[in-house]
Amino acid sequence: MTAIIEVEKLTKSYSGKRGITEVSFAVEEGDVFGFLGPNGAGKTTTIRLLMALLHADAGTARIAGLDCWKQSLEIKRLTGYMPGEPALDPNLTGGQILEYFAHLRGGVDHAYLKQLVERFELDTSRKFRQYSTGNKRKVVLIQAFMHRPRLLILDEPTSGLDPLNQQEFDRMVFEARNEGRTIFLSSHVLSEVEKTCTTVGIIRDGRLVRIGDVAEVKAIKRYEMTITFAAPIPVETFKTLDGVIEVEALHNGHGVHLAMQGSADAVVKAAARYPVISLTSYEPSLEDIFLRYYEADSPGSRETDHVA
Amino acid sequence: MWLRSVFLKTLRDYRIPILGWGIGMGLVVVSPMASVATLLSTPQAREQLVGLAATFAWNADVVAVDTIGGYATFKIGIFIFLIAVWPLLAASRMLRGEEDRGALDLLLSVPRSRLVVALEKLAAMWTALLAMGLLIGLLTFAGGQKFGGGFSLADGLLFGLNLALLCAVVGGVALLISQFTQEGGTAAGWTAGLLLVFIVLDMVHRVIPNSEWISRLSPIYYYNRSKPLVPSYGTNAGAMLLLLGLTLVLSGVAVWLFARRDVGGTVPLPRWLRGPAHRASRTLPVGDWSLRSVYARSLGMIAMPTIWWTLGIAGFAGWMIFAVQQMEARLSTLFASSPTVINLIKNIGGGDARFNAGFLSAMFVLLPLFLMAFAVTQVNGWSADEQDGRLELLLAAPQRRLGVLLARFAALGSATVFIGVITLLASAGAAAASGLTLDVGNLAAATLGMIPLGLLVAAIGYLAAGWLRTAADTGLLSFLLLIWFFISFIGPELKWPDATLRLSPFYYYGTPLLHGLPLASVLGVVAVSAVALSLGALRFVRKDIGV
Repeated sequence: MTAIIEVEKLTKSYSGKRGITEVSFAVEEGDVFGFLGPNGAGKTTTIRLLMALLHADAGTARIAGLDCWKQSLEIKRLTGYMPGEPALDPNLTGGQILEYFAHLRGGVDHAYLKQLVERFELDTSRKFRQYSTGNKRKVVLIQAFMHRPRLLILDEPTSGLDPLNQQEFDRMVFEARNEGRTIFLSSHVLSEVEKTCTTVGIIRDGRLVRIGDVAEVKAIKRYEMTITFAAPIPVETFKTLDGVIEVEALHNGHGVHLAMQGSADAVVKAAARYPVISLTSYEPSLEDIFLRYYEADSPGSRETDHVA
Repeated sequence: MWLRSVFLKTLRDYRIPILGWGIGMGLVVVSPMASVATLLSTPQAREQLVGLAATFAWNADVVAVDTIGGYATFKIGIFIFLIAVWPLLAASRMLRGEEDRGALDLLLSVPRSRLVVALEKLAAMWTALLAMGLLIGLLTFAGGQKFGGGFSLADGLLFGLNLALLCAVVGGVALLISQFTQEGGTAAGWTAGLLLVFIVLDMVHRVIPNSEWISRLSPIYYYNRSKPLVPSYGTNAGAMLLLLGLTLVLSGVAVWLFARRDVGGTVPLPRWLRGPAHRASRTLPVGDWSLRSVYARSLGMIAMPTIWWTLGIAGFAGWMIFAVQQMEARLSTLFASSPTVINLIKNIGGGDARFNAGFLSAMFVLLPLFLMAFAVTQVNGWSADEQDGRLELLLAAPQRRLGVLLARFAALGSATVFIGVITLLASAGAAAASGLTLDVGNLAAATLGMIPLGLLVAAIGYLAAGWLRTAADTGLLSFLLLIWFFISFIGPELKWPDATLRLSPFYYYGTPLLHGLPLASVLGVVAVSAVALSLGALRFVRKDIGV
């Protein structure tokens, strides 16, 4: 696969205030890339740089081999964009807005457009100012998908959508991915990224702190394991094992609660020496991983960490 | 300190209008004092001035117009619509505008009753109007002192208070109407229409005998009962109290309705007044011309304001031609006895005031001013679109930034050309209907010659929008308009050097009604506009959007 988005040491500040600093990553064609970070981390700045709405102070950003700033027109032809805070002419109806952007794109498949309108059950006859937040986002979401772009750049796309429409969005992402299109979406809703994305980048304080497959990111998990034994066991045995971070004795030595990272091989083998009643491992959610990257200002988090 | 309460926060939001509108309107009152002082030099001139004012008696009360205070009161009576613009806009947006933005939801989530929030906002608007009235009163008094007005500080302040009360009534009407409309703009439009009705109702008793009862239906009638700047006429406390009462009733009902209706909704109208029920639809518009390109969309956005401004500008030109024809005899006598005014008209109009075209030429200088004001409002729209994020998706579509900017500018250019052409047609029609002989070529030069000035303001506005936020951009352009106006209208009287006079674009507009189009000057204005637009475009294609 080839990279459709290539970002290299991209830097942007706003009159001396931090935007993003030396952000580098690549998104493979056909991938669904989740860009995670809390408010103000630099997600929207990165996206707006990709869309040539901002001019980078340093670094490069390329989409499909084209320079995001110098060849933005060509890039916009193959991109569908959904901003985080959609603002449009409040006096136009949803239908007029879609028609207008269809014209600006040189025409779209109207049958597909109507299909999208139906899927989101959008009332196109209301003025944009009269729409609820969710309906405003539906208009902009349809606008992003309606020309079947090769690349979709979506800034917090499901924010404000109800669960049914979120499911519809998930299906659309799935279909787009099956058609070989690439999706770059930002979010702070981790379950959403976990559900829809194949690759994840985590940004913090303007710096990319981790990037990798969703599965890989999960692999660096700090997970928990509880083992119950038929008889008391020497808890200290587990403290020195590979992958064990913390050990807590349970039930007067009849069990252990372990905080772990990495392989469980050593623990399982050690536990096998004793009569085991039960073993429970708690799969971490991306939420746990996400929080870990933001809970402390560890020096390690300053470097982009690619999971291998 | 200013963020301690809803009242203070709202008052803080009004601080620029208080200063701008207060001082601006104060100057509007003082300006005629300066001109009339020169007209009162001889008894004959006084007599003719009274006669001339009587020509406009249908429009405003002609009371002691041969005095400084009387003339200023008369003049402001003619332009009463202008005074009411700010309260009309402010009140129609006071609650409805915040609802539109969704800001009221949050404000009403704090432990403060809806009634209190509305009353605090209302109190802030009244305070702002009083502050404006105070500024107008002080400036009026200062003008009176300077030009020998013969009225006291208390009279000046009462004059300001009377204006503030009328504005409060108009604000009350707008606030009340905004409880029934979904958008602030609709409420402002209805209120403006009602204001025109009030003005016409007030005129009725001046034109039709024994019809005073009709005029009593208009609040403007009660405003006119007080003329504090005319000591012999004085102030009618009853009329002022009635205006106050009207304000309290209108605003009170509006606040009462607001406290009972849905936030974001409207007061339910009777079934027979409601429009057809909304039916959800999933159809897409086909063949809407305004959605075909950025230029077409820009034209669509600008169409309604253009029509209104065209009506105003073309209507003013046509009306002036009719009025000049009717005033011909009086004007010539008046000017014959007042060399100062002849000079003034010569300076502004560029010709002998004894001729209709000379006087008309002086009046026509206002046309480019109006067109430039129109351009300011449209530049404001461009700047606000970027600031409010409405350009974001447009620029994410495959459209060049330069193309988007030029399309918007071209739409504005098309609108100014439309206004110029319709003004030409209206003027030519009025001249033909009234029998006034005007050189058609010069008339075309006077009406179409204002187009480059409108484009100049637009280009400067687009350039400044590259760095300034909407309020600052609009403020800068308004300031420039004011300065240019004073340079061209007051500068010659004050014998300012030619180099200073050349700083105003009006200088390059010249006196086309008399002397035709100064082609070199117009081309110069076009060249400066092109440079400003080019620099603005250069900035826009490189700048960060929405930052």
